[in-house]
Amino acid sequence: MNKTLIAASFASLLGTTAIAQEIGATIAAFDDNFLTVMRNGMTDHAASLDGVSLQVEDASNDLAKQIDQVKNFVASGVDAIIVNIVDTSAGAAMTEAAGNPPLVFVNRQPDNVDSLPDTQAFVASNEIESGTLEAFEICKNLRAAGKGSGATGYLMNGELSNQAAVQRSKDVHDVIGTDMCSFMTLIDEQTANWSRDQAQDLMTNWLSSGEPFDFVIANNDEMAIGAIQAMETAGIDMADVEVGGVDATQDALVAMQAGQLDVTVFQDAFGQGAGSVNTALALAAGEDVDSKVYIPFQLVVPGNIENFLRKN
Amino acid sequence: MADTSQGTGGLTFDKSKRSWPNELNILLALVIIIVIFEIIGQTAPYMRGQSFLFDTRDRFDSIFNEARLQIIILQVAIIGIIALGVTQVIITAGIDLSSGPLVAATAMIAMSFAQTELVNGNPNPKAIFGLWAMDLPVIVPVVVGVAFGAVIGAVNGTFVAFLRIPPFIATLGMFLICRGIALWWSNGQPVSFPTESYKFIGSGMMPVVWFVILAIIFQLIMSFTVYGKHTYAIGSNEEAARMSGINVKRHKVLVYMIASMLAAFAGVVLSSKGATAQAGMGEFYELFAIAMAVIGGISLTGGRGSIIGTVLGAMVIGVIRSGFTYVKLDGSYQLMAMGGIIIAAVVLDQYRQRNKA
Repeated sequence: MNKTLIAASFASLLGTTAIAQEIGATIAAFDDNFLTVMRNGMTDHAASLDGVSLQVEDASNDLAKQIDQVKNFVASGVDAIIVNIVDTSAGAAMTEAAGNPPLVFVNRQPDNVDSLPDTQAFVASNEIESGTLEAFEICKNLRAAGKGSGATGYLMNGELSNQAAVQRSKDVHDVIGTDMCSFMTLIDEQTANWSRDQAQDLMTNWLSSGEPFDFVIANNDEMAIGAIQAMETAGIDMADVEVGGVDATQDALVAMQAGQLDVTVFQDAFGQGAGSVNTALALAAGEDVDSKVYIPFQLVVPGNIENFLRKN
Repeated sequence: MADTSQGTGGLTFDKSKRSWPNELNILLALVIIIVIFEIIGQTAPYMRGQSFLFDTRDRFDSIFNEARLQIIILQVAIIGIIALGVTQVIITAGIDLSSGPLVAATAMIAMSFAQTELVNGNPNPKAIFGLWAMDLPVIVPVVVGVAFGAVIGAVNGTFVAFLRIPPFIATLGMFLICRGIALWWSNGQPVSFPTESYKFIGSGMMPVVWFVILAIIFQLIMSFTVYGKHTYAIGSNEEAARMSGINVKRHKVLVYMIASMLAAFAGVVLSSKGATAQAGMGEFYELFAIAMAVIGGISLTGGRGSIIGTVLGAMVIGVIRSGFTYVKLDGSYQLMAMGGIIIAAVVLDQYRQRNKA
């Protein structure tokens, strides 16, 4: 008698959870600025939808932990899983860990992106765009400033293990390799690990060599701002140096308004977060979804900065 | 038998084995490292005959490349401030792993009280509190930050001294707690746009000024005050220190408090330097602070080490970092070389200690 009652109450519990959509998400790191905006995009969007509950966990840059989190989501029977993968070369392991429930990779492109099963998809911006947009705009600015006969500068890399950093740096090299921009030469490139503090020190080290230069291209805005702070401290006129970043963060836009930063690229973090939730829901409902859903990058320069001040 | 003499308390010591102070060895290592970088700079074909330390392009009034001298010490000044406190903790035979995350947590908290109301005429987009917390006098964020450090240090010290939890475990727990506080404070969002007076704390060479002032103060304290003598005594032989009437528990809490207050102040300087506070700040700072003390000849079993040694240890790391960038060495190799150098420093020091004993 009691057993049937318990069984019945369990069944009713299951019944109610089946109506609502449960999504489990794991983010590579909670302390990353960009990923935090993306995370807010996910939670805000999920909260605005009826019957969608979203649980977000922090993988703390630990791949093994992230795989366990995915397995835990599977064990607790979520309807879909969103993964912002710690290590982009571990896509296959993540795909396998998720098994049957729909899986959405967000922001970071897993290495198995071209062989995802039908129940999985990748939502992000196409990383090839960002570094190319940034470097090409700097190239055009340098030409406009009459430095088309020869310009030298530095490249600041993000974390060397990160796909976006590798891709953005490669894009910069590719742009410099084109006929139109081959007048640009890199004096040196080094990593500052996405960090403003490390970029300050790196730039100051470069400045101490006394080598004249015309541009600094950074894989993200935080490093670009660090470079700017170091140059300002050294008394360099920011009008003479072209500085580029990626992300269009609030801090970067303020630096652009102050005439220090010349180019940045807006990656729609919030849009990616919301897009990943939508894609996860579509997959859970059994709809056909493209295996790659791209949210476009947009170039930000002083001329169009007004459109971006309230974003990110 | 070698020529022995009677020392105080009937101890004998061997005059022939008396060597110069340990700090001179580190200074010597510093010079050797600089010479190595100079040689690479002059001989490697891709370096175009640049000099590491000297002004070969006639940019400065002195013969030195002043920009190089500045960055060498500037880039280690903030971690150096932490290392001053860690040195005292290690001299008591303890360890403090919580300083890196404490830097981040303090940066977030202090910066929240240092924000300015208007940024380029617009309301501060990163505002944490309401208008009441905007444009406060600079003393407020500094005091709030250092007070937060004092609380964390008091907790560390209490666990170590009164609850007898091994320092490694107690401060490892605090490491995680502080990182958690830093993340929780603003949900991972950076806190930016401080007042001009707050920005001044870490602007230009100010981090070096703080580092040097604090190093001098603590060198004097460690050498000439009761506080210093008790710290060394506890590290050499805790039981003997207790028997001779030192309140060991209370003293340990004080040492951990001072260490955490220094780390918290480093957090204030760091957030001012970058004009931003981020939850991920200070990563590996605790380990580099310990490395500075270790290169500076400290003994992890307590009782031996000095503030001057730690300052020199910081200089070694500064020279190496700047030198790596100067010879255009890739980031991955930099980490490997740095690790090798830290281990080599300890091996050499141990070898020397054994020979002396």
